[in-house]
Amino acid sequence: MLDTVYGALMLLYLGVGLLFLAAGLWASPALNRWARVLFGAGLAAHSAALLGRWWESYHLALGHTPPAYFSEKLRLVILQAPMSNFYESLVFFAWCLPFLAILTFRRYLRDYLGTVVAIAACLLLAYASLGGVDSRIKPLMPALKSNWLLFHVLTCFLGYASFTLGFGVAILYLVQEKRPRPTLPSLPELDRLIYQATVIGFLLLTLGILTGAVWAETAWGRYWSWDPKETWSLITWLVYATLLHARLVKGWQGRRIAWLAVLGFAAVLFTYFGVSFLLPGLHSYLT
Amino acid sequence: MTSIRLTVFLLLILAVVAVVGTVAAPQIYYQVWFLAPLGLLTLNLLACLVEGLPQAVRKTSRPFTGEMALTLPERGRFTWPGEAKAPVLAQDALRRELGRPRRKILDDKEVFFYSRGRLRPLGPYLVHLGLVLVLAGGIVGKFWGVEGRMLLQPGLPVSSIELDNRKTRPLSFQVQLDRFQVFYYEEGGGTPKEFRSDLAIFEDGEEKGKFICRVNEPVTFGGYTFYQSSYGVMPQGAVPVQISRGDKRQTLDLLMRRWAPLPESDLQFMLVRVEANLQGYGPAVQLAFRSGAGHPQIIWLLQKQPEWADPRAGFRVALGPLNLQYYSVLQVKQDPGVWWVYAGFILLLAGMYIAFFRPSQRWAVVLQKGKGGRWDGRLLGASPRGRETFAIHTERLLARLQGGAS
Ligand code: HEM
Repeated sequence: MLDTVYGALMLLYLGVGLLFLAAGLWASPALNRWARVLFGAGLAAHSAALLGRWWESYHLALGHTPPAYFSEKLRLVILQAPMSNFYESLVFFAWCLPFLAILTFRRYLRDYLGTVVAIAACLLLAYASLGGVDSRIKPLMPALKSNWLLFHVLTCFLGYASFTLGFGVAILYLVQEKRPRPTLPSLPELDRLIYQATVIGFLLLTLGILTGAVWAETAWGRYWSWDPKETWSLITWLVYATLLHARLVKGWQGRRIAWLAVLGFAAVLFTYFGVSFLLPGLHSYLT
Repeated sequence: MTSIRLTVFLLLILAVVAVVGTVAAPQIYYQVWFLAPLGLLTLNLLACLVEGLPQAVRKTSRPFTGEMALTLPERGRFTWPGEAKAPVLAQDALRRELGRPRRKILDDKEVFFYSRGRLRPLGPYLVHLGLVLVLAGGIVGKFWGVEGRMLLQPGLPVSSIELDNRKTRPLSFQVQLDRFQVFYYEEGGGTPKEFRSDLAIFEDGEEKGKFICRVNEPVTFGGYTFYQSSYGVMPQGAVPVQISRGDKRQTLDLLMRRWAPLPESDLQFMLVRVEANLQGYGPAVQLAFRSGAGHPQIIWLLQKQPEWADPRAGFRVALGPLNLQYYSVLQVKQDPGVWWVYAGFILLLAGMYIAFFRPSQRWAVVLQKGKGGRWDGRLLGASPRGRETFAIHTERLLARLQGGAS
């Protein structure tokens, strides 16, 4: 039942993306308004669907381990957050995009920038729904039963989403530089948005890596084991650290920062998809 | 050593070596290829810390005064009629937009000034210090920590750990596995729900306590931490098998990985593996046999289907009663570096928050009686690293001030 909701959401985001695109092409405030309303509605429905799966997951778990006290119930609620396999991570990643976009750059969420965000969310949901990803709710294996799981996944994916936004803006920057378009924000504005998305993503990714380390320390007694996912998240972190230093210390701006944001996003993609499919390791249960 | 170019160069080298490590050679992280640039980077960070930290501390501890406020660049002007209560209005505008300003009268000027983000210059240094602590914690753990494992069979106390370099390290106490259990969500297997070792720890012949060790719930005792790592089954004593050739029957007691010759023949048998549940078919053992010095052959015997026969071999094998018991493997660790690492994490996060989200911002509103008794006002301000929020505040402040007297 929730699967069909996600299918419908995918189409909704696609529609929103096209509306924003039309708004950009014809510089239409009315279309922008409609697209923004629909986008907000999509985010609300998406949130409801996430909560629905959380509820379902929790009730399945209740059957396996009936909790006796309130504190155990609360712990079970936290553990059953729908972020424990590849499908759930895709759907959550898709949710993070509109959420962060509305939270951090509401003022610019229109025209082509709106298109980029909506289409990215649509693509992630399309992969989740049509990519042959197993969408069943599975009981948690022992290693995943940690309160850190929620914070680890939450921060990592919000970070990835912020980098995705940064990548989208970087692409728009490079386009705007080649072929200026009146409905795009100005180059300095886009430059600032890239920086802002990078800073937020960097803080979140740092939190994600640190919570992952604390979790690994409690589960296996090693805060760092050079597992491929860990290593690639470190590589991603280093790329973005380079971007921030280039900007803060060397004063780089504009095109070079945009290209670094593109490079960083390539590292994000490899950390998320590439490592899962190409390099086996501790995180392979996510697939 | 303090150049940012060196930093970026080293960061890139590290990234490349890390990539190589994930595709080709995971041991590279403990070799000179990785450790040398990492060491240089640490030196680089330390050099920058030594060079910049004192200055940053001086910068943060220097108070912001009315005289300094007057040197800030101008961001806008406004005029109020002479009868307006200008000081009150100016103070109010600043207080509503930012916070309570300070006030100073300098000659004919009245200055209201406000600053935030004083700690900003410390931010990067806290981050870098945090990183140094994390790296130092890693080194402390490597050199002064202990990491090993412990294989526990029920009822047999163990008082040493096997280190990774195949040495053992004695403990001052004994760890005994009372019971090991695996629980599944569904009967008969599938996803495991819990691995659990019930432990008792003894010291000087006295029981010091009972502990339950699960994945994600380690047990700490005597400075060591025990983590549930893996488990397996092993037979209790030897495993009896019956070998029949024609109507001749012989019983052999097999031990793990030890060839047992069958009397009056050139056949030899060996127990290779024991599984508690072989692909859902229940307990099973894997045997090897060979004839003389010939090539060994491998067979599986299930407890449910204990017979094996092959006309070409010329004999039949039957598994006797199988008495399996679980053993548990614990990861054992003593790492004095973890607290350095965690302290580093906290500094790192605090520093990043200060560096990115508490940009230093300074404002001043300067009031002066102008021609005709009017109030001439100027808004001054600067924020070298927080242009975005600064611009927003400035815009709103100016709107307040310019509309202020009406
Ligand atoms: C992780 C987050 C990091 C943040 C937020 C950060 C922040 C900063 C900032 C803001 C500066 C400029 C200092 C200033 O304003 O004067 C800086 C400089 C610098 N950073 Fe980082 N940094 C981080 C990580 C690193 C890493 C991983 C390295 C390398 C190991 C590094 C090495 C340096 C160096 C060498 C400088 C130049 C310092 C100087 O010239 O005084 N930083 N960093």
